[in-house]
Amino acid sequence: MLKGSQISTNNYLIKQLPKATAFINKSMKVDYVSDKWIVDFDFTHSEVLGKSINSLFKNINKSWRKIVQGLLTDCSSKKTVALYINSEGHKKWFEIQNTPWYDDQENVIGTILQSEDVTKTLLNEGKLEKLEILSEQMADLTKIGLWDYNLERNEMHWSEKTKAIYEVSEDYEPNFNDATKFFKNGFSRNTYSMTINKAITNEVSFREKLQLVTAKNKEIWVIISGKPLYNKDKFIGLAGTIQDINETNLAETKRRENEHLLRTLIDNLPLNVFIKDLESRKILVNKAEAEYCGSTNADEILGKDDFDTYDKETSEKSRKNDLMVMRELKPILAKEMKLTKIDGTSTTFLTSKIPLIDTDGHAYGLIGISLDISDLKRKEIELRKLIKVTASQNEKLVNFAHIVSHNLRSHGANFAMLLNFLKTEESESEKNRITNMLFDSSNNLMETLENLNDVVDINTKRGLKKKNVNLKSKISAIQQILSADLSTNNAKIINKVPDNLSVKVIPAYLDSIISNFLVNAIKYRSPDRDPIIELESSKEGNYTILSIKDNGLGIDLNKYGKKLFGMYKTFHDHRGARGIGLYITKNQIEAMKGKVSVISKVGIGTTFKVYFNEKI
Amino acid sequence: MKKFNSICIIDDDPITVFGMRKLLDSIIICNTLNTFVNGKLAIDCIKKTIEDNQEIPEVIFLDINMPIMDGWQFLEEFISLPIEHKVRINIITSSIDSKDEKNWKLFQTKTHHTITYNNKPIRKQEIDEMTKIA
Repeated sequence: MLKGSQISTNNYLIKQLPKATAFINKSMKVDYVSDKWIVDFDFTHSEVLGKSINSLFKNINKSWRKIVQGLLTDCSSKKTVALYINSEGHKKWFEIQNTPWYDDQENVIGTILQSEDVTKTLLNEGKLEKLEILSEQMADLTKIGLWDYNLERNEMHWSEKTKAIYEVSEDYEPNFNDATKFFKNGFSRNTYSMTINKAITNEVSFREKLQLVTAKNKEIWVIISGKPLYNKDKFIGLAGTIQDINETNLAETKRRENEHLLRTLIDNLPLNVFIKDLESRKILVNKAEAEYCGSTNADEILGKDDFDTYDKETSEKSRKNDLMVMRELKPILAKEMKLTKIDGTSTTFLTSKIPLIDTDGHAYGLIGISLDISDLKRKEIELRKLIKVTASQNEKLVNFAHIVSHNLRSHGANFAMLLNFLKTEESESEKNRITNMLFDSSNNLMETLENLNDVVDINTKRGLKKKNVNLKSKISAIQQILSADLSTNNAKIINKVPDNLSVKVIPAYLDSIISNFLVNAIKYRSPDRDPIIELESSKEGNYTILSIKDNGLGIDLNKYGKKLFGMYKTFHDHRGARGIGLYITKNQIEAMKGKVSVISKVGIGTTFKVYFNEKI
Repeated sequence: MKKFNSICIIDDDPITVFGMRKLLDSIIICNTLNTFVNGKLAIDCIKKTIEDNQEIPEVIFLDINMPIMDGWQFLEEFISLPIEHKVRINIITSSIDSKDEKNWKLFQTKTHHTITYNNKPIRKQEIDEMTKIA
């Protein structure tokens, strides 16, 4: 039993070993095993003891079994790391070591297997390796180098990358003072030394963008940052990073310069510039456009669309144009557009809309450029008006010239003809007759000349000043003058003009105009009824309108409308008609910058409307 | 002396009418010589003549500037009347407006009647020409 008790003592001791341990005899069977071993490999005591090691590790762990077998047959002591998968499929890494098992006579009687779970260590190592790889890559990508400074030992350490940034050799040993000198003399160096001293004294972090001059005399921009380092709450120095941002910085500076240039350019263009997205929202506007939209700050306009600025009709039209440009990818160039804002003010623009096309050939917005041509437009309209005035003046002149020549020529022709007869005529009585005709002709010529003179007077006497004249009392006065004529013809005048209405006219012309219309109304009365003449006033824009309505013969305007105000045109077979009255009247009205219109129905009556211009 | 059945003068100026009559008297013999002071009276009379199946004028002297219906309006109506034979219409005017001359040329293309354009004053030798049967 001694032996047996020996074994059980051994057994007991081995059972308690802190390390997973198994004693395997020469016939590959487990003699002793520690509890730890059983736990690590998910066994029970009874399962293990006396069992062959082969039967313990089943197919699932073929590789594991091979390794274990290898160790058992190899007498030299070895360490191996192997993967073990337990019954639940968990992976565990073990470091296994074999040691020969000797008896008290130093005979090898088996192998002692010791194993240790190294999964955690291995994983950590893996992480570390990964981190190192990552940080290397990061450093490469971001051009970030590491540095630290030990205050106690006054030692400075730079990582490889840091050295690369400073362009020093790999064996360069930095020190605190030299590190400062790398910074560009002036602002950068001053800032650096001030900052780093402050960081040491106050134990604070820092981050600065500075320029340094590398060992190869290259000026570069870097961001250097540092943090206080502690060891057991004791401040021991600084550690941090240094990043080469030269390329980014230069690119950034260049970009900013370009942007500034572009911005200055578009802001100072005498054009409204805007960029719209697919939804026609403005994503960029220049100063002129912002101001036009009623804001001093361009940012306030961003995100807004045309509906925020223009009335519905304008906005819908504009959106339609936008969609067309973006759909068809064809620009609208210098199209004249009249835009009306919500407040009702209108502006005429020469607008171009150019699609913005991405690399796939799709539109992602549009650029708009508008030139305000309202002033030009206004001037154009003024010019057109002026041309119209000139043309009508010219037409009047030509017309007048023809009238003059026609009238004078007809008299002249009569003279020539009559004188010719007179020369050859022998009968005394006929001679007398011809002579009388010559007198008549001469009188007619004189009258014609007087008429023409009147017309010329009206059109040339620009000096006559317009005065305010009370319209109603003027009409009454003329009525008084014509009273004999009126009562003979049983004419009735209804004066509906208000008492206090005054018109700005040349008084003599007003007399002549009113009197002429009244006389005409009586002259061309209807034989079927007593004449009734109604005078009324109204306002229209700059004009005060006097309408004179009669119940006379009326006139077929389709036939005679064009000639009504012409010279020597008469339209009724009437002895008193001379065809000069309306011509003079029209000239007088026009000389006062007014106008005249007529509506008439044969057999019903005529209404003349005289427009007195109150502004000019 | 040429002989005519019917001649008509349309002019509102009595002196011109007197002169025309005097000139015509000296070179032709005419059964009927009517004068009208405007186009309206003339066209109304011619229409009536057609209705009554009587002879319409062979030669017409026509003024342009007349009240109520001027020479052009008269012509417009005249050329639309159903007159088969050619009538000679002599426009007599003191107008030098180029528009009138254009109008005359336009009318020439619109009708089979002979239309001439003459400026006042009219001389004897011109009357001779103007009274040739169209």
